[in-house]
Amino acid sequence: MDRFYVLIMGFLSVVLVNNFVFTKFLGTCPYLGVSGRIDSAFGMGLAVTFVTTLSGTLTWLVDFFILTPLHLEIIRYICYIVVIAGAVQLVEMYIRKFFPSLYDVFGIFLPLISTNCVILGVCLFLDIWGTNNLLEVVVLSAGTGIGFTVAICIMAGIREELIMADVPVCFQGAPITLITAGLLTLAFMGFAGMIKW
Amino acid sequence: MTDKTKAKAKVYRQTLLAGLWRENPTFRLLIGMCPPLAVTTAVKPALTMGISVIFVLVCSNFVVSLMRNLLKLHLRIIMFTLTIAAFVTVCDLYLKAYLPEMSEILGAYVPLIIVNCLIIFRAEACASKSGLVVSVLDAIGMGCGFTIALCILAGIREFLATGCFFGFMMMPSGFVPWLAMRMPVGAFLTLGLLLGLANVITRKKEG
Amino acid sequence: MLKIKYFIQQSWLLIVSSFFFGLLIAVTNAGLSPRIEQNKINKRNRLVGLLLPEAKDFVLDAEVEIESIPGKKEKIEVFRAMSEAGECVGWSFNAAGSGFADKIELIVAVDKDFNKLAGFDVLVSNETPGFGDQIKYDYYRNQFKGAPAEELKLIASGDPKKIDAEIVAISGATVSSESVVEIINTFLTQIKEQIQKKGLAGNDR
Repeated sequence: MDRFYVLIMGFLSVVLVNNFVFTKFLGTCPYLGVSGRIDSAFGMGLAVTFVTTLSGTLTWLVDFFILTPLHLEIIRYICYIVVIAGAVQLVEMYIRKFFPSLYDVFGIFLPLISTNCVILGVCLFLDIWGTNNLLEVVVLSAGTGIGFTVAICIMAGIREELIMADVPVCFQGAPITLITAGLLTLAFMGFAGMIKW
Repeated sequence: MTDKTKAKAKVYRQTLLAGLWRENPTFRLLIGMCPPLAVTTAVKPALTMGISVIFVLVCSNFVVSLMRNLLKLHLRIIMFTLTIAAFVTVCDLYLKAYLPEMSEILGAYVPLIIVNCLIIFRAEACASKSGLVVSVLDAIGMGCGFTIALCILAGIREFLATGCFFGFMMMPSGFVPWLAMRMPVGAFLTLGLLLGLANVITRKKEG
Repeated sequence: MLKIKYFIQQSWLLIVSSFFFGLLIAVTNAGLSPRIEQNKINKRNRLVGLLLPEAKDFVLDAEVEIESIPGKKEKIEVFRAMSEAGECVGWSFNAAGSGFADKIELIVAVDKDFNKLAGFDVLVSNETPGFGDQIKYDYYRNQFKGAPAEELKLIASGDPKKIDAEIVAISGATVSSESVVEIINTFLTQIKEQIQKKGLAGNDR
């Protein structure tokens, strides 16, 4: 029961309290680019969740079973990036062939995000946090992706409204998006201290 | 100097200067936005990050330009990424050995240089298509533009948050620090406002 | 055979460059790793040296397993602080737990019999600047220097100069203050129990 509680708390913390976009600044590049409309934002978010769960788990397994026992930590970054790129490539081919409807929803974003900060960021932070069992790894990486999806959907909703608003010419596009993101970060700060285990 | 050398020199100068303002990666091209938000709480880490990026950019552009005629089309992204990852590992080791406090402050953001859009973008757009000298000059120009942008952002944030600049106290003791500048809020707001300012300046220049 | 030839034709560059990069990294690592190790040792020495002034060297003495949060077991390294004469002057270990905003990592030092705390230093924290951040400052930290190495209690107001098992919270940062007390309590009590069970505390080896 305690284990379950830890997992739930960890999940909530990664989605709300330590949201990767708002507190760790990862994933800002696609964030600024794709958050124009809610449906594309949601597709992007789904793709990111899928890739983070997959790559977080895979890289942790590689680290746990291959790199650490053999003291090969020095090639960690190269290993991670190769595993991520390879896994995403294989999965994309697989989905395109066997689940075309799913591919329509988020498949096109997959090659775009294999070099996204969030993916490598998740793998690195899982290592820094010292997670040491598989279930926790899966839950935390899925949580990161879901946090990103939440952030990007909120942003897309706000941006859709901003199109009607009277934004000064020089601030249209990226500047106003960043300022909005700043205010959202301020709002999400309210979640800090919520998780106390 | 012959005309050909003059033309070459002009191209070199233009490549070098483009990265500084006209195609500044942070303010105009809007790529590589994660580090400007994450490491700019103070000028020292920002400067360290900027110099690391310059190092990785120059090395990776150099190597990619050397290999450009040998690259197979569908494997090129993974070749770029492999090159960049190798140099980032080397850079990380150097930082851990010679600047351990900076390495700790920067934390996970040093390996995240690998996925910094800026470096892959320059490798794809410039180094894989141009000669050695042009690639290296482009790398230096872009890297310096990036570093300057980081330092401006960090300077503003550090100054408003603590009254210091590069660790030296600059404001009188009656100064009330604006602590929000040290938090993510300050990062997003400052960058957004600076981008808006860059837009204003560009428009004024264009008439 | 043809497939292998095609494969090699397409990816020879990848294989060759991987080899060269591997070599580059291996050489750099071999050259720099002694320095990196030395940096880590220096950092521990510097931080704990402020808390245990007589300590000159740190020896990894024990690895104990404790339960940091219910349901999560961790292995903690406990270092014995040796003075120049080769006597044990104290112990130090790293402790971590959740704070108000993010994880807090501390380095804690105790005296040689695990009777009193020598103090703590903050390694990693992301607490609210100006509020929770004050766990790094003397007002809060000095209350731990010389405090008894048992369950500490956080109180809302009192005399911070009095050194006992009661710690006065930082006003406006109750959660951060509470987190540090809880982290130290969790780690200290379990490590103390295990070290004393192993019979290591108080021995001058």
